[in-house]
Amino acid sequence: MNVAAPSVPQPQPQLQLLEGATAIAESAILAGCRFFAGYPMSPFTPLLEHMSRALPAAGGVCINVESEIEGVNMALGAGATGARAATGSCGQGIALMQEAVAEAALNETPMVVFNMARNQQDYFQSTRGGGWGDYRTITLAPKDVPEAVEHTQLLFHLSQLHRAPTVLYGDPLLAQTRVGVHLRKIDFGELPPQDWALDGTRSGTGKSRQIWTWAMGKATDPGLGPDGHWQQIAAKFDRIAETEQRSESRYAEDCDTLVVAFGSAAKFVEYVVEELRDEGHRIGWFRPITLWPFPGPALAAATRGVRRVLVFELNAGQMIDDVRQYADDRDAIRFIGGVSIHESGLSFGPLLDAPEIRARILAASAADSPTRSRP
Amino acid sequence: MTSACLRETVPAEVQILLVGIGGQGIQLIGKTLALAATTEGKHAMLAADYGGEMRGGPSNASVVIGAAPLRSLPILPSAGAAIVANHKFTGPVPERLRQGGLLLVNSSIVDGNAGRGTHRVVEVPATALAAELKAPQSAGFVLLGAFNRLTGLVADEQLVAAMTSLLPPYRAQHAATNAEALAVGAAAVAEQEVLS
Amino acid sequence: MTRELELVPTDRPPGGDARKVADFRPSLMLGEHSLCPGCGEPVALRILLETLQDLGIVQRTIGVVGHGCYGSFVRIMDVDVLQCLHGRAPSCATGIKRMRPDTAVFTMQGDGDMVNEGLQEVIHTAARGENVTAILLNNGVFGDTGGQQTATTVLGQRTKTSIEGRDAAQHGHPIPLADIVASLDGVAYVARGAVGTAGSVARTKRMIRTAFESQLAGEGFSLVEILTMCPTGWFVGAPQGAEYMAESMEQVYPLGDLRPRVSGTS
Repeated sequence: MNVAAPSVPQPQPQLQLLEGATAIAESAILAGCRFFAGYPMSPFTPLLEHMSRALPAAGGVCINVESEIEGVNMALGAGATGARAATGSCGQGIALMQEAVAEAALNETPMVVFNMARNQQDYFQSTRGGGWGDYRTITLAPKDVPEAVEHTQLLFHLSQLHRAPTVLYGDPLLAQTRVGVHLRKIDFGELPPQDWALDGTRSGTGKSRQIWTWAMGKATDPGLGPDGHWQQIAAKFDRIAETEQRSESRYAEDCDTLVVAFGSAAKFVEYVVEELRDEGHRIGWFRPITLWPFPGPALAAATRGVRRVLVFELNAGQMIDDVRQYADDRDAIRFIGGVSIHESGLSFGPLLDAPEIRARILAASAADSPTRSRP
Repeated sequence: MTSACLRETVPAEVQILLVGIGGQGIQLIGKTLALAATTEGKHAMLAADYGGEMRGGPSNASVVIGAAPLRSLPILPSAGAAIVANHKFTGPVPERLRQGGLLLVNSSIVDGNAGRGTHRVVEVPATALAAELKAPQSAGFVLLGAFNRLTGLVADEQLVAAMTSLLPPYRAQHAATNAEALAVGAAAVAEQEVLS
Repeated sequence: MTRELELVPTDRPPGGDARKVADFRPSLMLGEHSLCPGCGEPVALRILLETLQDLGIVQRTIGVVGHGCYGSFVRIMDVDVLQCLHGRAPSCATGIKRMRPDTAVFTMQGDGDMVNEGLQEVIHTAARGENVTAILLNNGVFGDTGGQQTATTVLGQRTKTSIEGRDAAQHGHPIPLADIVASLDGVAYVARGAVGTAGSVARTKRMIRTAFESQLAGEGFSLVEILTMCPTGWFVGAPQGAEYMAESMEQVYPLGDLRPRVSGTS
């Protein structure tokens, strides 16, 4: 689904000034999350801390676990009962969780993973995954806290709808900035019944339930087995890839230069492009909202006839691989991002700044610009 | 760093920088202002940048207030106003305060002359005023009171209410003196024009 | 005192077809196991399933099974089950029990699963006092992958990765997992049994029952470590497994209640 920007002014709702992590946690609770397990790791920690206070008050369970691996496996167990469960971490902790995320994808257990990336944009980790097998995770990358509130609830819905783990891609700005947000429960529609959820009631009936990546079934009621089951899962992810793409863009139909960015960086790019547009530049922006499934066809359409496709991301070039796959003209692509880390190691560095982004766009837009483009 | 863009590209949003050192209450006054605005139904954003030290390290914040969902960035490329509580780390202020912007300085320790000519400098001896109140930790609220009188951003009572609700239990005893500090700061600039 | 006995006649063949031992399996076993002759794990499965029936809790039981030869039990146990990652069963069991506190939740893990890969998980789950019952099938080898050394392999035991016999200087010492867990607050009941003799099978079945009773009473974490024969992994013949176990593992890992249940009766 592609959404054109910008939004029409809305009637003023009741706003609460909340730190991003708090807003995300409260939104998860509104979505029905009743199990959360996590390990302290900046900038995910405030999400865990808020959940430890708020989730029990909402009738749920929050466990401060002794390792990320414990946490994700607890969430898997909780999800296996049909409960709405979540965990999270950042970079290194997410890496530890890869086996369990793949497991949940292959044994079809819903859960939400909050990847609050720390000091660079971990696009590969969020989209390629480090588990085994043919699985993907639906990943939403909000650009600011209000959008994160919506995405959080959407991810719980998609996770239940598709019986698969889903990911919220965040960062320190999303976690730590305080913004007035409108917290409300969003209805995303009907969900199928959860007859697969473990509750013990089918034990001893001959039709007991089974959650197993190999799906061998029972001696009296054989299942598809790993071959059939994993083919079915792969087909499921192919279907999801068709139906769950989301993106946003502006001025694409009327620009020489299109800047592509995701997450918080996309909000900065949007700001700079509006500024340059006011000054007369024929420039536009494109933002994938789902990192996976990557909105390839939308990007292809947006890049048609564009002279320069500038990819801005805070890393050595990750999303650019997907841009290369779909852009109408690969030779038009230039990389204007880079690794930029705050001296503390805990946040982004000086590259995530409007004047810097503006300078890079202008430098790349100059004719015969030497800006690096990877082969 | 490249020269900041000094154009105000989103005139409907008020963009404010706050700089000081840890222990001066920079984060608290930023939260107070943002919360007061939110309670009044405005859109507000507060972003913070500070180090690990509990006292004495740099403490910066930015506050944005507007009537619609905010387009401003959590790292402001430029701002229309700044509150400078300490001379030690001026942070982003010299480069990012727009020409003609309000520069409110704690004149007890900050030399306002550096900004004259480029900005509208208003000096308030916040540290001294707070000391007179026998509440040295309230200097930040002296500055905030002055700032709000100069800009008329929120109702004074909202600042008091927000401040009171934000104090952690172990600081609740300061609510009354902080409210006084807000009033003292406002009085200190009563003669000044309200700046838009 | 005499009673009229109805004796089976011996002057003709028995009526009806002969029945195999497997025919007497609990109804919760949906088929025959495919493990080695002489393996102790199917005996442990049987007494676990019988206990669930004896306690009348079948239709609120959820199992969490790890990875090992016993992993194939997922196909033949008529219980709602999650087959989980190696070592992580106690964590998954935690999530399940917290969301479904009225169910009886057990883990079934081998020594490689629980004491190697999952040492952290079982210790923390125990210390947190989660109301689940962990079943450790301990045969001192990674059987499913061919018989390599685990954390519970006893000194002198030959495995594929300690073929001369486990030597403390080279391979370190075994970990008595149940004893460590028994020392933690949050733990309600810990026992170690074995399935090498009829007597130990009966005693171990009582331990399993006590563990579930403790769980149902909400007393905290319970663990039953069960020494199981692995003739294949031990390089002995199927009939020698029980004797070998008595002479090796049972000498190192004493049987009995390591942390008796405080309330109720054992």
